[in-house]
Amino acid sequence: MTPTAGGDDAMTFRLVTRLFLRRLIDNDLISPHADRHQSLAVFFGFVVSLAVFVTFFLSTPYLSAFIQLPGPAALSALSDRFLFIAASITLSALGALMVWDALALEARDAAILGPLPIAARTITHAKLAAAMVFGAVLTLALNAVPSVLYPAFLTVNIRGIAGGTILRLIAAHATTVIMAGLFGFFAMLAIRGMLRLLLGDQAFQRASSGIQSALVVSMVTALLLAPTVRARDVRYWVGDAVVPRWPVGPVLWYLGVNETLAGHLVAETPIVMPPRMPSIASLTRENQAARAAYRPLLPPFAAEARRAWVSLPLVTVLALTTFLWTNRRLPDRSAGVPRSSRLRTIVRRMAERYTHKDPEAQAGFFFAVQTLTRSASHRTIIAIALAAGLTHALMVLAQSDGRSLAIQATRVGVLGIAILLLLVLLAGVAYAVAVPAELAANWTIQMAWLGDERRYLAGVKRAALLFVAILLVLLLPLHVMLLGIAVAIVHSLWGLLLAVAALDALLLPYRKLPFACSYVPLENPKIVWPAGFVSLLLVTYGFATVERWALHTATRTIALGVVLGALVLLVRALDRARRRERRPIRFDDRPTRATQRLGLFEHLAMHD
Amino acid sequence: MLEARHLTKYYAAIPAIRDVSFALAPGHILGLLGPNGSGKSTTISLLTGLREPSLGQILFDGRNISDHLVDYKARVGYVPEDAHLYTFLSGREQLDLIGRLRRLPSALRTSKIATLLDLFGLTSAADQPISGYSKGMRQKILLVSALLHDPDLLILDEPESGLDLSASLMLRHLMPMLAARGKVIVYSSHILDYVERLCADVIVLHRGRIVAAAPVQQLRAIMQRESSLEDIVAQLVTTIDPEGTARDIAEVVGQHG
Repeated sequence: MTPTAGGDDAMTFRLVTRLFLRRLIDNDLISPHADRHQSLAVFFGFVVSLAVFVTFFLSTPYLSAFIQLPGPAALSALSDRFLFIAASITLSALGALMVWDALALEARDAAILGPLPIAARTITHAKLAAAMVFGAVLTLALNAVPSVLYPAFLTVNIRGIAGGTILRLIAAHATTVIMAGLFGFFAMLAIRGMLRLLLGDQAFQRASSGIQSALVVSMVTALLLAPTVRARDVRYWVGDAVVPRWPVGPVLWYLGVNETLAGHLVAETPIVMPPRMPSIASLTRENQAARAAYRPLLPPFAAEARRAWVSLPLVTVLALTTFLWTNRRLPDRSAGVPRSSRLRTIVRRMAERYTHKDPEAQAGFFFAVQTLTRSASHRTIIAIALAAGLTHALMVLAQSDGRSLAIQATRVGVLGIAILLLLVLLAGVAYAVAVPAELAANWTIQMAWLGDERRYLAGVKRAALLFVAILLVLLLPLHVMLLGIAVAIVHSLWGLLLAVAALDALLLPYRKLPFACSYVPLENPKIVWPAGFVSLLLVTYGFATVERWALHTATRTIALGVVLGALVLLVRALDRARRRERRPIRFDDRPTRATQRLGLFEHLAMHD
Repeated sequence: MLEARHLTKYYAAIPAIRDVSFALAPGHILGLLGPNGSGKSTTISLLTGLREPSLGQILFDGRNISDHLVDYKARVGYVPEDAHLYTFLSGREQLDLIGRLRRLPSALRTSKIATLLDLFGLTSAADQPISGYSKGMRQKILLVSALLHDPDLLILDEPESGLDLSASLMLRHLMPMLAARGKVIVYSSHILDYVERLCADVIVLHRGRIVAAAPVQQLRAIMQRESSLEDIVAQLVTTIDPEGTARDIAEVVGQHG
């Protein structure tokens, strides 16, 4: 064996870094079965188009204004920049969470690289370098386009603004959002490293997927809440006039950076009227009032900016040191940690009773629970769904006056909290069942499956209802506080009945084997997603309104219970009728080609 | 019992196998041999029912399997070439899933899984996620899952791949015992010594076609030489000079700048 020469260390480091980068992209972010270049192109295409769309959407008032006054523009831009910064932090953090397991050395790395004549330190440093490059590229990809477009759109109708000023605005915006993105990414790396250090390797391995899911839920919730923040909220929060309802500190820090670097450039631009148009006194007054409101914000923004300048290096150092410490040795080749067997036995027995001792229903139940809680892609789907429901709940609670036990005074939104959470959870489950647990392992179920999907599907549905029941139990204290114990119990029972009917209805058209068939994407997502969103809100608020009406008297309460029970039976009967006819399951369906969807074959045939 | 009639499979108009026919009676072990790309894996995938032939048919107990695919799969145990399993499950959970889907009664399933895991030396790792298993451990899980429901037909594609010596020897003893109980076994392997010891009949595939199908002894007679199966197969399907190529490889390995 020839030992590695010292001069080759840099080359080895570059090679191993490239290997780890490929692993981050191939196995976690993008399907391992897809062509890497094509998948990356699609991924970055999606990111860039989304960024362009959001920038255009936010800039509509500036683009459509005949005369844009600089003072009001500086004020209204606060909420836009808040959104850009919040999005940069949360999306970069979500990027880190998507590759959570690959952010540290794994047993696989030890198995592949351990036998090679490479120093353990080189492998550790290469892993860290790959994570840093990944974070930097992700942050740049997310922020490059808005950094150029937004300042340009903001000032497009501010007459007299110099080109150099626009360039400074672009530089400030880019600096801010990239700093914010790196903060989000390194914060996740630091949290991972700190927890691994505090909990120890074994406890961290047990808790890792739970922590990852909780962080995904928090980040998606934060991302969804960001667009609800108005410029006025930002002013009040920065000026200490109002205490923020949720933790917005990091976003305000980086907003402070932007405003101290370039905020005054817009606010202090003099008004230049178009030729042959007289100066209008009301416009001047409006501009001066906005400037007067903006100027006092600069000192608190400077204080926020100081926190940003300290926080980024701090979190970076924390991430790097914890990473280097916890990855100082190659991990042991031995497989994870066995779970507590006594607890498992008790849970298994309870679950077997719950599934009526039918083996296929048990297979569906256990496999659904295992896939939804352990498979990274399925956990992410459920976490995103829960985050959407949680966002709604937080918005409703933020507007609520706290304790309002009288049903007459209860807002429909409060009753809608649980309904929306349950419905998005079930929508998430209905989406997740169509995604294979592991595409390459589908053959195991295909070989063992005995041809009747009904009992297996019944097990999957029971698993989904278990999640519903857990969610209702978790929400019960909140409902008791807001609605009183009797109404809270009735509300939970109705929620359960609605969930049973909704789950059957959502899976009514599904004629495959959950988690075991190839994924076929929606053919018309541009119609289905908005329609689904509108239906979700209509069902939630429609049902909450009916529920509030029904809760006024005992007779109505009983009547609504009966109606819900009848609805459950009706959907069950429909489901049974649909599944009476046995159809062979197509395990390996492929999506229809675009040429077929658009009817181009028929068109060509006509001209042949 | 198992009969393949004129099997042909095209992938995008390119034939992977052409006109493959054979018949197997209960208690027989058939060795499927051939170099990479000869059509072994395609033949195996057709025999499992996971893929449909472009032409021809497979009969099991006289019935076309495509007309009774689910009934047929219920009687098949399969070990694929690549050990793809649900890596987020533990070994025991994977076997539980398969046992439940195959409707094994609860008590029988639990005891069979526990005993087979023990016999394959996997008890200590049974509750760990498969993601941490070595190739050999995964291969053992595949073997247990193929045997769990006592199948009538066993289709094994390189089953010894990754197994340690003792498991490999155990497998060598197990196959004849299962055959003696009336099972039909299709055994695909590159280890010709293994096939020679296990299989009464062999089929040699080359470029998608059967180039030889006979008992090993008969092949020897046809080739008019007292040689090993390895020599016979080499003569039938090898287009390179193995010794010469090995010499070239050794030369390249020895180059130093």
